[in-house]
Amino acid sequence: MAPGGFFGRALIVDVAGQLATSAPYELDDRVLRAYLGGVGLGTWLLHRLAPPGVDPLAPEAPLAFVFSSLVGTPLTTSAKFAVVAKSPLTGLLTDALASSQFAIAGKLTGHDAIVIRGRADVLSVLLIDGDGVRLEPAPELAGLAAAEAESAARERFGRTWRTAAIGPAGERQVSYATISHDGRHAGRGGLGATMGAKNIKAVLVRAATKVSVADQPGVLAAARDLRKRSFGPATAKYRELGTLANLLAFNAVSTLPTRNFTAATFEGAQQLAAEELHELRGVARNSCASCSIGCEHIYSRKGGGSQRMEYENVFALGPLCGVSDPDEVFAASARCDELGIDTISAGGTIAWAMECVERGLLDEPWLRFGDGAALLRALDAIGERSPGLGELLAQGSRRAAAVVGHGSIDFAPQVKGLELPGYEPRSLQTMALGLAVNARGADHNRSGAYEADLSGDLDRLAGGSAHVTAAIATEDRAAVMDSMILCKFLRGVFDDPFTEWAALLALVTGWQVDAAELRDTARRIVRAKRAFNMREGATAADDTLPARMLTTPLELGSGRHATLDADRLRSMIAGYYAARGLDEEGRVVTEIPDLLLDA
Amino acid sequence: MGQSKAWLEWHGSTLLYRAAAVLARTVDGPVIVVAAPGQELPALPSYVSVVEDPVEGLGPMQGLAVGLAAVADRAETAFVCSTDMPFLHPAFVRRVLRALPDGTDVALPVARGFRQPLAAGYRTSLAPLIKDLLSKGDLRPGMLFKHCEVVQLSDEELLADAELMRRDPTLESVVNVNSPDDYAEARDRAPVEVVVECFGALARNGSHRPHEVRAATLGAAATAVGLTLNRHVVAALNGDQVTRDEWLPLVAGDTVSFLSADAGG
Repeated sequence: MAPGGFFGRALIVDVAGQLATSAPYELDDRVLRAYLGGVGLGTWLLHRLAPPGVDPLAPEAPLAFVFSSLVGTPLTTSAKFAVVAKSPLTGLLTDALASSQFAIAGKLTGHDAIVIRGRADVLSVLLIDGDGVRLEPAPELAGLAAAEAESAARERFGRTWRTAAIGPAGERQVSYATISHDGRHAGRGGLGATMGAKNIKAVLVRAATKVSVADQPGVLAAARDLRKRSFGPATAKYRELGTLANLLAFNAVSTLPTRNFTAATFEGAQQLAAEELHELRGVARNSCASCSIGCEHIYSRKGGGSQRMEYENVFALGPLCGVSDPDEVFAASARCDELGIDTISAGGTIAWAMECVERGLLDEPWLRFGDGAALLRALDAIGERSPGLGELLAQGSRRAAAVVGHGSIDFAPQVKGLELPGYEPRSLQTMALGLAVNARGADHNRSGAYEADLSGDLDRLAGGSAHVTAAIATEDRAAVMDSMILCKFLRGVFDDPFTEWAALLALVTGWQVDAAELRDTARRIVRAKRAFNMREGATAADDTLPARMLTTPLELGSGRHATLDADRLRSMIAGYYAARGLDEEGRVVTEIPDLLLDA
Repeated sequence: MGQSKAWLEWHGSTLLYRAAAVLARTVDGPVIVVAAPGQELPALPSYVSVVEDPVEGLGPMQGLAVGLAAVADRAETAFVCSTDMPFLHPAFVRRVLRALPDGTDVALPVARGFRQPLAAGYRTSLAPLIKDLLSKGDLRPGMLFKHCEVVQLSDEELLADAELMRRDPTLESVVNVNSPDDYAEARDRAPVEVVVECFGALARNGSHRPHEVRAATLGAAATAVGLTLNRHVVAALNGDQVTRDEWLPLVAGDTVSFLSADAGG
């Protein structure tokens, strides 16, 4: 019998021609307890189901939608799922979390995960419910934005279905295409391209069953308590201004990446700031499914319409490209949503191209920092994969730099092929380590190491052993939160996180789990991700930062310079390897049995 | 004074805390406090270390020798000051240290009419020379200056520095408190004006825009804008280090940015 909150099985869906077949895939208690769900379980499934060395866009490459024991409970922020695959952008593991009713409906098809393999002959939609799976040709959805495709699919098949869809960029296998649902996105690493390669425009799921938890009254009481705490000061920033509140603060502390990381303060920051926009624009708030925080802030646009804005899309399409007009940034964000591409990778790749133009390495004189119209034109070229620039930039900055050459890789803003988020590594040196070693690549969600830099407890400009400890601690916390799954915007409400998370899991699953076990679980998940990447060819050489970060000091607003040289980063990485139980080459050489890959 | 100057209260902290923290926020290298044998010291910032002078009663030259020796393996030059300089400004420290190029051993301000050996820059390699002089009974700084290369900095030379001229035009940096009246007068002065800005959820009614408050410490600046430094609220000083140190001294020209410690996302 499966533990509470679980069904004890995944569904493997094989798509071929015009048919889809499915088979259950048993997930025993040992595996579920070792990996929890979400990102953790998705990593284990990839180990088991992805053929070694598989082309991420090949039919046999699995695309996993993974739920968790908490999905469907009244615990706030738990309506989340992970999408896990081998990334077309990085060639390594990628996992993206998203929140919506898709999570609940997907799980209540009766599965802890849905794994899709194969390729349809024509553009299709895949439907999964209690009656099984079926593939329906959907050529009429070709070229539609994900939101339009969602609407059209639900119109055709019924409003009881929940959808995850790709936009035109996913159909064209842009390397950083997203999967979207209810206006949210599984954004990083090109999962939309993986789905596009399978010729699947949308996955539709419909609830068919229920799942029981071990201690229903206990879960209800915990949900009430957690909901109450979610209204406290730890979430105030997200509630009141949303993640865009980072922008002005990051500008003040010289960690707002600007013009392709050539500066860390932006003269136009005030115009893009949440604090300003809240005074000047109409703003609506919205929440993900089952969330009491309500971090989404949707701003009115000049000339009509509205756009949800987050720090990452504003940073990437604003300061990083030198654009300060909020309406131009709104328009660029909307275009990314329509095309179905990751705003961070899109902004990073275009910013790199703008610098290439400045340096005379690309003959596209119209593509200049600060030009919002040029930004839109470049996004369209990427979405269309138009010959020349569009095709080049659709591959992301690392591959594009390999084509352009002339040392342009040194300023390509990426780690392992994934473009950097809006955190300047030179002025956030715990984060620098987190970005360098994370399995997904340059990532701010699987390593929230910036927390340590901004806590006031460490010198953020002088990374050392204390920063290693802090980076590991945030990575461990993220591994558990992303697997059990709770929104990380809740992280500040937990005074004793591992103990409190263990208590929640115990109520839902019935496991006698404690904080120590969860800490081991975190380490296992991090190691399993690294082991997958090593299997796919990653080496210690991938654990680094762009050369620019290690050779060019960054001038701070104070006039001081932040320096992160290669020796300091290497020293921190060596400390990280040692503390993680890895060998000097960053390989997982011990405790492989603990990963349960033979289960 | 009737009590150790190190313990004199200074806007919630102590004179020693202020002196040590001002230096720490100004220089890149280590900051140490030289304590007399068995001397009990008030709380210090965590990043400040203490070395104990093994010999009592030899005056400032002995402390100078111990202090320079303690940092000689980590720094070529050091700014040396006494505890009782409540208006020491970072711009003064920077100006003095810039006067220590290769070949110069001491940058000695002659400010407000007096030589200021306890607000001066020294090459750390002087430590053995000072010990040697002490062993010969030369206890006065003036004897040291006869044996090394000294650059004297007059008021005019000091104030040729634009930042120092702007922030401390009367060289209050070298004012010390030698009597209860000195201390009372210094303590009664209004705190400096600093610029504050509040970001994110801390911003209220346009408080993300820069505005001025009077505050001698970071904690006082927080109080002035209705905030308390805690696990959810931190501050960045002049866009540089992020801190929750409520005793962190503020000086004229500072900008304090308050931000949510729950940054990110």
